Amino acid sequence: MRALLIAIVLLKASMVQAYEAPRYVAEQSGIDHVYDGGWEFFVGGGVATFDCNADGLEDVYLAGGTNPGALYRNISHVGGALRFAKVDAAPLTLENATGAYPLDIDGDGVLDLVVLRVGENKLFRGLGGCRFEAANEAWSYLGGKDWTTAFTARWEKGANWPTLFFGNYVDREAPGTPFGTCATNRLWRPRTGGGFAEFLALEPSYCTLSALFSDWNRDGVPDLRLTNDRQYYRGGQEQLWKMSAGGKPSLYDRRDGWRKLTIWGMGIASHDVTGDGYPDYLLTSMGDNKLRVLIKGTEAPVYGDEAGKRGMTAHRPYSGGDIQPSTAWHPEFKDINNDGEMDLFIAKGNVEAMDGFASKDPNNLLMGKADGSFVEVGEEAGIVTYSKARGASLADFNLDGLPDLLVVNRQQPVEVWRNVGLGTASRPVPMGNWLQLKLLQDGGNRHAIGAWIEVRVGARTLSREVTVGGGHASGRHGWLHFGVGTAERARVRVRWPDGEWGPWVRVYTNQFARLTRGAAQAQPWLPPN
Amino acid sequence: MFNMTRLLASVLALCLVVAYGGRVWATDAIGIETALPDRLTQETAARLASEDLVAQGRALFLAKFTAAEGAGRPGATGAIVPTKAEPGSLPRFFRTAGADSNACRGCHNDPVAGGAGEFAANAFVAEGFSDADFDSVDPQFSNERGTPALNGSGLVELLAREMTRDLRAQRLVAAREARATGRQVSVTLTSKGVSFGDLVLYPDSYMDVTRLEGVDQDLLVRPFSQKGVFTSLRQFTVNALNSHHGMQAVERFGARYTDTPDFDKDGVEDEIGIGDVTALVAFQALLPFPVSVAPEAPDHAVAVARGRDLFAEVGCASCHVPALPLESHVFTEPGPYNPAGNLRQAEVTTPVSLEIDISGLQRDEKGRVLVPVFSDFKRHVIADAEHPHFANELLAQRFVNRDEFLTARLWGVGSTAPYGHRGDLTTLRETILSHGGDAAQSRAAFEALDEIDRRRIIAFLQTLRIAGQEVRR
Repeated sequence: MRALLIAIVLLKASMVQAYEAPRYVAEQSGIDHVYDGGWEFFVGGGVATFDCNADGLEDVYLAGGTNPGALYRNISHVGGALRFAKVDAAPLTLENATGAYPLDIDGDGVLDLVVLRVGENKLFRGLGGCRFEAANEAWSYLGGKDWTTAFTARWEKGANWPTLFFGNYVDREAPGTPFGTCATNRLWRPRTGGGFAEFLALEPSYCTLSALFSDWNRDGVPDLRLTNDRQYYRGGQEQLWKMSAGGKPSLYDRRDGWRKLTIWGMGIASHDVTGDGYPDYLLTSMGDNKLRVLIKGTEAPVYGDEAGKRGMTAHRPYSGGDIQPSTAWHPEFKDINNDGEMDLFIAKGNVEAMDGFASKDPNNLLMGKADGSFVEVGEEAGIVTYSKARGASLADFNLDGLPDLLVVNRQQPVEVWRNVGLGTASRPVPMGNWLQLKLLQDGGNRHAIGAWIEVRVGARTLSREVTVGGGHASGRHGWLHFGVGTAERARVRVRWPDGEWGPWVRVYTNQFARLTRGAAQAQPWLPPN
Repeated sequence: MFNMTRLLASVLALCLVVAYGGRVWATDAIGIETALPDRLTQETAARLASEDLVAQGRALFLAKFTAAEGAGRPGATGAIVPTKAEPGSLPRFFRTAGADSNACRGCHNDPVAGGAGEFAANAFVAEGFSDADFDSVDPQFSNERGTPALNGSGLVELLAREMTRDLRAQRLVAAREARATGRQVSVTLTSKGVSFGDLVLYPDSYMDVTRLEGVDQDLLVRPFSQKGVFTSLRQFTVNALNSHHGMQAVERFGARYTDTPDFDKDGVEDEIGIGDVTALVAFQALLPFPVSVAPEAPDHAVAVARGRDLFAEVGCASCHVPALPLESHVFTEPGPYNPAGNLRQAEVTTPVSLEIDISGLQRDEKGRVLVPVFSDFKRHVIADAEHPHFANELLAQRFVNRDEFLTARLWGVGSTAPYGHRGDLTTLRETILSHGGDAAQSRAAFEALDEIDRRRIIAFLQTLRIAGQEVRR
C-alpha cells in the first residue's frame, strides 16, 4: 500500500508540469554567413531585422566583420519552413561591420539602415524593394573612424528627424591602448530641414557595448542608458544620461540616486518585468546578468537588482558540463510560447579563448512564469549549441505567431531556428493566442518610436515601449508581438510619443493589425500567402 | 532528464496501480462523493463508438458536480480568460457572479436535457475580470440571460464553420487580386446566401473592415451565445464549466496557461480533462435538431402554411432565414477555428468524427442539406428608441454593443418559452412586437396585418418544436 501511495504521488508529480517550452528546429534557411575577424571583431556580430520590401515578412541584414555584410530577403511561407534568399545589395556588402539597426531616418515611410563599423559608420537610405543607397553625405553625417559597437535613436520633441547615438568601444590609437582608452561616444542631433548637425561628444565614455533611449520613469522624455565594458574602462561604470530638449545631456550620478554598477556590459533588453508600469533593464555581462529595477519610485533613478530573485542571472552553462562563468551578449525579451508571460533569450559565447570563462556556453531561453520567475528551457526547446553567439533576433519570420530565432555566431555560421510550438517541423502545433501590431502616425517619426502600447486582456495589461537600440549590435523593426494566452480579444491603446493617449481599440487576437493615430479602429493585415 | 523522470514515474505508478488496482479501487469507491463518470482522454474518446461517447457526454451533462471533484472556484472568477479572485471573497455558489449551478441540466432542461430553461434558470453574464467594476456581486455589473436550447447545436456549428471558411476564402482571393493589380479591391462577403457586408483589401494587404455587417473583423462566424461571441461548442462548454460550475478544464485553466494544475485553488487538480470536454461536446452536437411538427387538424395546417408565407412576406425571413444549406454533416471535434485555451485540431492526432443524423431534412439542388435553423448567423441591431426592450442590458459583451444580438435561431421556438435574451417575454407576440432597429420594418408589417394573420404567424412558429414535443392546440 505504501508503495502504491508513493507511486501515485510520483505519478501526480510527473503530470504536473508548470511550463511547456516551445520546440525550435534548426533550419537550412539559405543563409550562409559568418561573422569573422580579429580582436576588433571579438565584439559585435549583429543582425538588423526588418521588412525591406514591404511584404510583411521580416528580412535580415547581417554584419560580417571582416567578411562582407549581407542582406537576405525572407521568402518563407506562412507557418512553413524559414527560407531566405540573398539579395544583391551592393552598397550593403561592406566589410568591417559590427552591427546594424533599421529605422526610418528621413521619414519617407521606407526603412533605412544604420551600419556600425570598425571605421566609418554608414547610413543607408532605403529605396524600397530591398534597395539602398549610401546617405552619409546627403544627410551630413560623418561616420568617423571609431570602433562603433552601440546604437540607439529617438525623436526629440518637435523634431522630424531622429537623434542618433553611436557608442564607441576602445580607442585603438590612444596611448596605452586598450586599457583605460575608451573612445568618445557621439550624439548626432538633426538640423532644421533634414540631415544632421555637428555631433556632440558625450564624455566620459566607458567602452559602450549597448545603448538604449528609454523612458525609464515615463516622464515623456526617453533618457539614454548605456552598458559599458569594465574590461577596458578605468574608473567607469554603467551610465544613464539625462536628455533635455536641445540641450547637452547630463549624467545621472549618486546625487540623483544613481548607484554605481560596474559590469562587463554587453547588451540591453528592456521590459516591465516587475509589472509596476515602468521598464526594467536586463543587462548582459560575464557571469551574472543583471535585471535593474526601480526601487524608490520614479523621482530618482535608483535601481536595485532582481535577476537573482527571479532566476535570470544565467551565470553559468546549463548544459555541456562546463561550470565556469558564462559570457552573455544579445538579450531579447519575447513571449516565445504566447502564454502571456514574457520570456528571455540570451546569446552566449566565450569572447574568444578567455580563460576562466566557459568555452561551451549555450544560449539561454528563460521562460517567464506566472509568479514572475524565470526557468531555463534551452534544452527542452532544442536550441543548445556551443557556438560563440553574439547578436540575435527573435522575430516571427514565417508569420505563424510563434517567434523564431536567428543567432549570429563568431566564426561560425548563422543559426536559424523555427519555432514549431508543441509540434515538429512537419507538423507544428500552435501555443497560446497572439497579437502583432504596427504603429503609424504623421510626421517624421512615422513608426512612433518612443510610444507605449498597452494591450488589455482580461484583467491584465501588457505594455511595451517602442524603442530603437539595445541588444548587442542588433536591431529590429517589425511587428510588435504580444502573447496573450487564452484571450480571443484584446483592447489596445497607444500613448503616442508626444504623450497623447489614443482611444482603446478593439482587436481580435491571432491577427496582425496596424494602429494609426487618429483612427478609431485597428486595420487588420493579411499575410501574403 | 526531466522528461525521463516523468516517464519512469508514470510507468512505475501504472505498474503498481495494475498490481494493486482491483482491491484499492474497490475500497476507494466506497463513500466517495463524486458525480463524474470515468474520465476520458482524447485518444479514448476518439476510439469510442459515437453512441458511447454521447452517453459519456450525457452523463457529464447530467452530473451534479461536487466539491470533491472540483466544483466551485474559490480562487478564480468566471472569466473566460483565467483570472484570479480573492479566495474567500464569495460563497461557493452565487447567482450573479457564479458558480451558479450544479449540473448543466440544472438550467438546460426544458423540455429535455440539453434544452432551454425558463426564467428561473436565467444566468448572469459578466466579463468576470477582477477590475473593481466586475469583481462584484452587484447585478448591475452583469447581464441577465435566458437559457438557450442546445438542440441541433452540431449542425449549427457546422454551418458556422462553413460560413467562416467561405468568408475567409473570399478575403484571400480579394487580397491576392489587390496585391497582383496594385489596386484596392472591395468584395461583398457572402456565404449560404447571406451577405456579411463589404471588405476592402489594399495592395499592401491591410484591410478596411468598417463596412462588415454582423460578423467580427476576423471573419469568424461565432454562432453561440445570444451575442454570437463563441466559436464552438467546445469554447462554450469550457467557458460554462468554469463560469457556472467552477469546473476548470485543463485545456484552458491547466498548467500550460496558468503554471498550476489547480488554478481555482479548491484543492482539486486538473478538474476536467480534454476527453471529458470532447464527450460533452459530442452529447450537445448530437442532440436531435428541432423539427417542424405539422398540425393534425386540416384547418390548423392551412393556417400554419399561411403563417409560414406571411412570416416571409412581412420580412421576418430576411434575418430568420428558414434554412441554410450545409455541405457536410460530419462533425469533427475539435473544430478548425478554436482559439488557444480550447483544444485545436493541430493539437490532436485523433480527432473525433461524428455523423449527425439528418433524417427528415431536405437537400437543395446541389445536394446540400437544408438546415431549418431560421437564422442568418449574423448580428443585427434589434432595438431603437421606440422599441428599446432588447437594449436593456448594462454591459456590452465582448465587443458587441448592447442593442445588437445574433439572429435567434427559431427552430424549436415553439418549445422554448419564455423568449428574448433575458427570458422576460412570455409570448411570441410580445417578442415580435419588441423588435426594433433593423427589424423595425418587419415588426411594423406584422403589426399592420389583420389579427388573424398575426395569429397565423404565431401558429406557424408554434410548430417549430424540439423533437418529441407535440404541437400545442
